[in-house]
Amino acid sequence: MNLWKIFSRGILEENPIFVLALSLCPALAVTSSVATALTMGLTVTFVITMNNVVVSVIRKLVNPKVRVPVYITSIATIVTLAILMLEAFAPELYQSLGIYLNLVVVFAIILARAESFASKNGVLPSLLDGLGMGAGFTLAMIVVGAIRELFGNGSLLGVQILGTWYNPPLLFIMAPGAFIVLGYLVGAMKIYQKKKENREKEREHV
Amino acid sequence: MSELTINHDTKSSGIFKIALNLTVTCLVSGAIIAGVYYLTHPIAVQKEQELEIQSMKELVPEAATTEEVTGEEGLTAALDEDGSVIAYIVEVEPKGYGGAIDMLVAVTPDGAVSNFEIVSADETPGLGTKAAESPFKDQFSGKTSEELQLTKDSSEGTVEAITGATITSRAVTKGMKQAVDRVNTYVEEASQE
Repeated sequence: MNLWKIFSRGILEENPIFVLALSLCPALAVTSSVATALTMGLTVTFVITMNNVVVSVIRKLVNPKVRVPVYITSIATIVTLAILMLEAFAPELYQSLGIYLNLVVVFAIILARAESFASKNGVLPSLLDGLGMGAGFTLAMIVVGAIRELFGNGSLLGVQILGTWYNPPLLFIMAPGAFIVLGYLVGAMKIYQKKKENREKEREHV
Repeated sequence: MSELTINHDTKSSGIFKIALNLTVTCLVSGAIIAGVYYLTHPIAVQKEQELEIQSMKELVPEAATTEEVTGEEGLTAALDEDGSVIAYIVEVEPKGYGGAIDMLVAVTPDGAVSNFEIVSADETPGLGTKAAESPFKDQFSGKTSEELQLTKDSSEGTVEAITGATITSRAVTKGMKQAVDRVNTYVEEASQE
């Protein structure tokens, strides 16, 4: 598999949220506005990439029986480092993410990539895989966040877009709104992939 | 998949080796975190203090200096150039929907709210966080202790709650009432001395 492919499949084909359906919890919890969704996306990208590199480097040293605890320790260390850095150099950002930062440790997508990719591949492919998956995750978060903020609050990135005539339904900001938006997006993704498959099949027949 | 790897590796992985593996991992992790904490913690503390001073300045922009009131924790006086008190800044932490809401309230010496700011809170984004924005934020200026209640809780109340965030609205209002009451007691005590 070439390197570009490793990076790009995380964005659409194997999008962590829309296709792999991993880490749906943050996709529901922090997507009520674009700004928080974006910050969370970037944090996860950082952690997943760093962790993929670390796991890839130590993959031959770690005893397979205890690999999961070792990976979790590595993730927890990286997340703690990210928290310490944010606290010191970007306290506003640190406050706006609050409790969700600690929860990054248990996001399924990070451990999943360590286990299924980084523990079997070299440093460079693992780095690209982390970046790709992170990009896909961030993109998905922003899409869900944008839809919810626009319909639920009439704004995007805090800037009011829809006028005062618009009476935003609270549903979009609350958790059920996230489920509904996510459901439609996963459905749309399925349709897109079906169409793509059909097109490829037709090409083969011709 | 896990079964395969375990079978493959039974020879080389005694319990001791496994324990060693975990110990080394945790030691390395601990050392890294300790090192970074040692470097970043002083900066974090300093940044936090700077932020607090800055948000106090924003609360009472016309103040020349701020001075902590001795013997009263969480009470700061904002002074003008002549050294007379423009407002007292009170730190309160009412319990909101997502835990304590850390807020600063500026109260005039005669016991009315002049401004407030939410320093940190874990309220629902898009709902509870609206407490820091207008129009909710704008309705507090000049209110006294009795008026600081939600209209839906009391007939004396004059505060209109945020739709979908009654608990946050109630907490913020209660925090402000606490701040005003505290300033009233303090001013009364100080004048008796």
